[in-house]
Formats: sequence, structure tokens, C-alpha cells
Amino acid sequence: MANIVSVDEYVRDAGYPGFKPEYGYTPWATEPVRTFRKEDEKRFWFMDFHWPNGLSPMGLVFLQDGYSWGTQWAAQNLPLPSGKGITQRLGGTHVYASEVPVESAWEAGFRAARIEENLSEFLPSFPRIWARRVWELETALTHFERFDFRHKNLADLDQNLRDARVFQRRAWEIHFEMMYPLLANYLAFYGVCGELKIDPVEISKFLQGYDTKILQCDRELWKLTAAARTAGIGRIFAANEPENLYRALRNDARASGWLETFDAFLGTYGWRTEGISDINLAPWTEDPTSPLGTIKTFLLKDEDHDFETARTAAVEEREASIDAARSKLTKEEQVQFDGALRSCQHANFAWWNDEHNYYIDLRATIPLRRACLAVAEAVGAGRRDDTLFLFWPELRQLASGIKKWSTFASIVRDRRQYYEHWRARRPQMPKVLGTIPNAVTDPILTEIFGMHHHFFNAMKAEGRPLSTLSGVAAAAGTVRGRARVLHSAQDLHRIEPGEVLICEATSPNWTPAFAKIAACVCDGGGTLTHASIISREYRIPCVVGVGLATQTIQDGDEVEVNGTQGRVTVFRRSA
Amino acid sequence: MTGHIIRWVDELDDRALPHAGSKIARLGALRRWGVQVPDGFVVTTDAYTRFMDETGVLNEVDTILSEISDMTNSAQIADVCGRARSAIERQPMPQTVADALIHAYDELSYRDRNLNVPVAVRSSATGEDAQDASFAGQFDTFLGVTGSGSLRTSVQRCWASLFSDRAVAYRMESGLDHRESSMAVGVLELVDARASGVAFSIHPVSGNPHRLVVEGSWGWGEAVVQGLVTPDHIEVGKSDRRVLNYRIAQKTVVSAFDYTKGRVAQHAMPRRMQSEAILNGEELQAVVEAVLAIEARYGHPVDVEWVIDRSRRPGDPVTIVQTRPVTVAAAEEPPTWDPVRYAAKYAFGNRA
Repeated sequence: MANIVSVDEYVRDAGYPGFKPEYGYTPWATEPVRTFRKEDEKRFWFMDFHWPNGLSPMGLVFLQDGYSWGTQWAAQNLPLPSGKGITQRLGGTHVYASEVPVESAWEAGFRAARIEENLSEFLPSFPRIWARRVWELETALTHFERFDFRHKNLADLDQNLRDARVFQRRAWEIHFEMMYPLLANYLAFYGVCGELKIDPVEISKFLQGYDTKILQCDRELWKLTAAARTAGIGRIFAANEPENLYRALRNDARASGWLETFDAFLGTYGWRTEGISDINLAPWTEDPTSPLGTIKTFLLKDEDHDFETARTAAVEEREASIDAARSKLTKEEQVQFDGALRSCQHANFAWWNDEHNYYIDLRATIPLRRACLAVAEAVGAGRRDDTLFLFWPELRQLASGIKKWSTFASIVRDRRQYYEHWRARRPQMPKVLGTIPNAVTDPILTEIFGMHHHFFNAMKAEGRPLSTLSGVAAAAGTVRGRARVLHSAQDLHRIEPGEVLICEATSPNWTPAFAKIAACVCDGGGTLTHASIISREYRIPCVVGVGLATQTIQDGDEVEVNGTQGRVTVFRRSA
Repeated sequence: MTGHIIRWVDELDDRALPHAGSKIARLGALRRWGVQVPDGFVVTTDAYTRFMDETGVLNEVDTILSEISDMTNSAQIADVCGRARSAIERQPMPQTVADALIHAYDELSYRDRNLNVPVAVRSSATGEDAQDASFAGQFDTFLGVTGSGSLRTSVQRCWASLFSDRAVAYRMESGLDHRESSMAVGVLELVDARASGVAFSIHPVSGNPHRLVVEGSWGWGEAVVQGLVTPDHIEVGKSDRRVLNYRIAQKTVVSAFDYTKGRVAQHAMPRRMQSEAILNGEELQAVVEAVLAIEARYGHPVDVEWVIDRSRRPGDPVTIVQTRPVTVAAAEEPPTWDPVRYAAKYAFGNRA
């Protein structure tokens, strides 16, 4: 029984002012990004939660090079047996994605045979392969992050621009080249555990407690917090809002030593944005509001976070859950479980899912952003990030001197309006378009976006009042509270202690909220997404992959979150 | 002639199946292998045949059964079968059969140095459980029978149970002649059960051949077998006898001896016993030993009914009162970890 959500509105929308269809096409992908056409209704499109603000024209380059090319290239090389990666459509500035199917039965069988060979080689070699990819990424990032923009002419900046795009694409080829097989192995392990009747909530514990670059960054932030206390500059933090902190610290002589340490910290960890691959987000090196705000929050606590103890506790909990699970298995089952676990520890998706963000998701788009901003400055654009509102062919014309800035000034203003218009519209937009299926085949859709069967059940039930939603049980426990539905991190400060956070998804900059909330419910995601991991750390119930939580639940509803069984019940509607 | 009417368990083995029925013949076989089974005797199929022929009640039953015209009419079947059973139960036994029965019961009482030893009277059909479960549970069992009078009545009730609605309907649907069916009746010393239950030498639901399952409750196993009580559920790994999972159930009903009624009957379980584990580690291992030994002897998966005698001390054997071949098809060998196979199954869209 297929439900069909119409795409008509998005077919009629002309897109950004001055948009030409060829601006969006990448001829070499299996299926390129484009705007909606009526025939798209036959397929299933879901709104991607990674860009709550929508994408600017230069942001679309990521869709072409990273999302489409990256997933499709990886899908062809692994190969994914029954899918050819993911493609995208635009609803205004917002991204809807869909898997590219393998239509031919012969081809599916052929691909299945090929992946058998490749997967068996990849998994044992993973550490070595990843080390080589990290070398590639670090070598390239060093080049871009040390690029001296001073004394460069426009031709140099144009070259830098093209190089940065090449790098972004390569980084995302690597991203999906790693992610698909690691995820496949993780889901296989998850399946084995299910057959052995192991509680799903325990499974992610089996792979926790390994150090990552992201945790290292957190530790450095705590060290800076301790140093701030020692330097006696806590009052400066208390007295200023995060946006003003850097200037306030610069103006205070007592902070100069501390600032040197902070700047050095940014040199290593500051090439990082508050969202994945969004060229419109400034990295910490450009705007240190976020890390300074985090340190400000940390200073409010009586004690510094004890990483050693937390890490030891995480390792102990891991070993204890493994022992507990094994004790319920026969010797024969233990052999099977041990083999599966060893494979996942060796090619650890849970670890890599955090680690790779340091090199790719939060970082690999920054060179392209800097390149765009440098061109904007060189050509005398009105605002420093105006060039982000040009399409690639236009930006190339600008950077190669073919056209002058004045040609684009007015249309960029119009496009900024278009961007803001669609940013405001997002909460009301449908989460899915086209024909709703019963299942999907791409493991990224299943695990990252949480598209299990209950997700599709929720989609199909849309319109009928649902008092109980089902999802993936991500963190155990049951709690009842007042719902707070948030569509972006900007409203985080509105959360009152004890409320239940309802959102599309969370990312590292949402972490401070977890100290306040009673439970977390997300539309998307699986056991290894940010919300799940942080909820477990903070020991609050969490259910993800619910599908339509942000549309079904309203601000002020009384809800009960059962993170052990993956259920959310709405008890009382707000007036 | 009395030698054919009664046979003692300690004389029997599997070859005795035609006379003793599968249930009792198997007990004899187990006993020969060294398994502890209750002492007792069987009223053979020959005795049944003599009863039915010499008294003429067989012809009477024939006539009554021929009234069944419509197999789908359950009310008619119930009525006809009820009358057939009444005919059998009313009919006095031939003297030779009655004498042999009483003589055997006296002997059993003497063996136990007991007056009117309480016994379990168990039907042991020749078709029952032989290769399939079709007849399982269709025939009667009486626990806690004492005295020759009650014993005779119970034996006749067992004979009559060959004509239960279900049994008659089954034979008619399968085209079997009731004249070909025969009933042996076991008369076994009633083991005073502190705890009892069933055990399967493979997992009865999944067929996993590496796990065995023990279920049980306090008192006699009737409440468990009939599904009146939710039993404790224990799973054990067969290779290393390791307890994998002990799920204590809320046991609300117990089969216990009711002296006012003179038999075993269902009672409410005392509160403190409801959520207490029925087997300690040593007792559980004894049950595990027994079921594995029986499986090894037979060479195929089995289920058993076991009883922990109230007088049992650590190290004593467990008493087995029944064994059957398991009716669950054994699963294939558990697969080893194969990332490619499991990825194909779980990562690429074959789940619901």
C-alpha cells in the first residue's frame, strides 16, 4: 500500500534566482543532483537532517561532489549489492535524498559476488587502509590550512579555489569508501547479536571506550578550562556572552598568556565547523565563539570532567557487558559471537564514526570556504561571504577575471533572501516526498537515518493521530516530561531543565543541552549517532529513528520516552 | 495366563512395546540402562483385549460408535463417545484380569513395605508417541490412586480414554480401525515430588542442538504438562553444561496431593514458593546429566519428564517418569561468523 506525497510544489519552484539547470549537473555521477520533476514521485525522498539552514548555491557543490559522487562512486567500487549510492533533489534550499536502485536482477547478483571478495579483503586490512587515507587527508589539509592568502593574485586564488574543490571531492570519496564496508560489518554484527538474542541496547557498549580525535579535542578544552581558572580569568568568561569573549580576552592583559595557548589549540583542533560540510559555517579558526562558549559552560561546573575516570568506566562497562552477554551463550554461540566482535573491533565502525569527523565531516569543506572568501575579498564583494551565493560556473568566471563583481551584486542579494525564506520554511516542510516504501536497501539510510520498519510505519500513518511512536532503542530508561521541539541548535538556550528534547537530529554543538534534558527523541539516526552516544554517556533515555517526532509532537505535550523498548507515548496534548 | 495380563517394569525393554505400550516399554528400557525410574507394572494390551472380548463390551462399543453419521458434528461425537466410555467404565472386569491386577498391586505395596501404596495410573497406548505426536496427551493419567477399588476404576477409565472424542475423531479421519487400537495401562509407584518438570535435549523452539531446556515447578508435573502453571525456564549449554539463563517464573498453581480427595489435584501456590527457584545448581546438573545420558543412549533428541523425589539427597539420581523422541526438527548447525553472509542478510535490505 503506497502513500504518495506530492512533489508538485517543488517542481514549480524555479530555484535560486538566476539558477540554470546545468549549474547542478555532474555528468560523471551515476545519478546527478537536480531539481524535482513530476516522475520523482514514483521514488521515495526523505529530508536530510544535516543542513537545518538549507544550502547556499556554493553549498550545492558538496551535494554534487560529496554526497552524490561520494556515495555513488563508493557504491560502484565496493560494490553495494542492491544500490548505487544516494542522489539528491532540492526542495527550495533543502536537500531531499533517495537511494539509486539496482534494477537488474543479474547485476544485483553480479555485484553480490564481487562484494564477497572485496569485503573479505577490506575488513582485515582496514587499519592499514585507513592509515593511508589519513595520510592523504593530513597531507592535503596541511597544504590548505597553511596556505598563505596574503600577496596572492587572482589567478593564484582561482587555482586555490579549484584545488579546494578537488580536495573536498577526494575527502568524501574516502568517507564513503570507508563508511559502506564498515557499516555493513557493523550491521552484520548487529544482526548476529539479534539472532543470539542479545539485548540491542547492549550492542553499542561492546564497541565503546576507544579514544578518538574528537575526545582528544574535548580533553584539550577541559585543559584550557583548568588553565583559565589558574590564570584567574574566569570572571571574564562569566561577564561576557560567547560572541564577545574573544574580543574581551584580547582586551585584557591577564588573558594574553592563556590566549596564546588557546590559539595554539585552534591550530590543531580549530579547523572545525558546527555542522557537517556546510560551506556557510565559519570554522573555529575564523570564529571561536563555540569553543569559548563551551569553556564558559565548563567553568560553571565545580569540577573538571575527569576523562581518565570516564574512560576507565567506559572500558569497564564495555568488558562487563561483553562478559555478561557471553555468559548467556553456548560454547558454539560464543565462537560465533567472538568472531563477529573481533571483526568489529578490528574494523570498528563505532570508533571510526566519531574519528573520521575530525578529518572529513567537520573539516574538509573549510578550504573551499576560505577560497571563496578570499575571492570575495579580492574582487571587492559587498559582504565577505557573498561569493557563497554564486554558483560554481559564476564563481569561476569571477575568479578568472572574466566577469566583474558588479555583475553579481544584485542577484546575490536576491539569493540571500531566497535562502532566508527557505530557512524559515523548513519546520513546515514535509519530511518525505514521493512514494513511501516498506524498506530501503542502502545501509546508510538504515543506520544513519534510522529507516527501519517503524520509520516507514510512522510515515504511512501520517495524518492519522498517533499517540505512540516507535523507533530505535538507543539509551535505556523511561522518563516522562514536557516536550520541547527544536529545529536548530540556535534555540537550545530555550530548553528548561527536565524537558524532553524532540529534534531531527543532534550534533556535537548540541551537547551542552544534554546536561539539562530528561530524555531525547530524534526523527533520524541509529544507535551510533550523536544523540544516542551522548544520551548513553549522560544516562538519559533516548529513542531515535522515529521518523516524524518533530511533526507529531508539539511543544508542551506531555510525553513518555521509553528508551529500553524504543517507544515514545504522547499522553497529553498542549492546548 | 496371568503372566500375560501383568508385566513388571523391571522385565521390560523396547521390544515389549506391543504389550506394554511405548510409554511403559521405554521406562523398562531406561531402567536397563541404569536410569532411575519408578517401580511398577503394566496392565498389558492382552488384558485390554480380554476385557473387551470376553465381556462383549467391544460389540456394544461398536454399535454405539456406528451411530456417528456426521464427522463434523462435534455434539454428536461427544454424545456417542461419552456413551461408549460409560459402557467400558461400567463393565466389570473378567475375574482373571481383576485378580491379576489386585495381586500385582499387593506385590507393589509389599515391595514398598506400604499399605495401599499410592500409584500413578498412566495410559500407555501402542500408537502413542511411537513416531509422531499425534496421540500425545490424548489419553488419561491418574495420580495418587490408592487401594484396589480405585485402582480398578482408574484402569478402566484409562481403557475408556481410548474412546475420547479426540481419539475417535482422529482414528476416523485417519481411516484407522478402533479394533486395531489397544491400550496398556502403567501402574507406577507415585514418586513424592518436591519438584518436577520436563527437559528437552535440544531447544524445543529453535531446534538449536547445542542448548538444552529444563522447565519445572513445585510438586507434580501435571500442572506443567497441562500448561496450568508457567514453569521456571532454564537453558544450559550442552558442551560445557554451563547454565546460560535461569528464568524464575511466577508459579501460581501447584499439583499436590489432596488427602481429602485422595488424589493429586491443583492448588494455589503458597506465596513464598511462587518466585523461588525450584532447582538448585546440584539438582539442575542432575537433571541435565539424566537427559543427556538418555539422548546419548537413544542417539536422537528426547524430551523427558523428571521428578526430584522429596527424599533425594545431593548426588542421588533424578527419577525419570517418561521419555519421548522430540518432535521439533533439529536446526542446522549454527553458522560460523561470516561477515559477507551476515552483511548480505542484515546490511543490504533484507530485513523487514
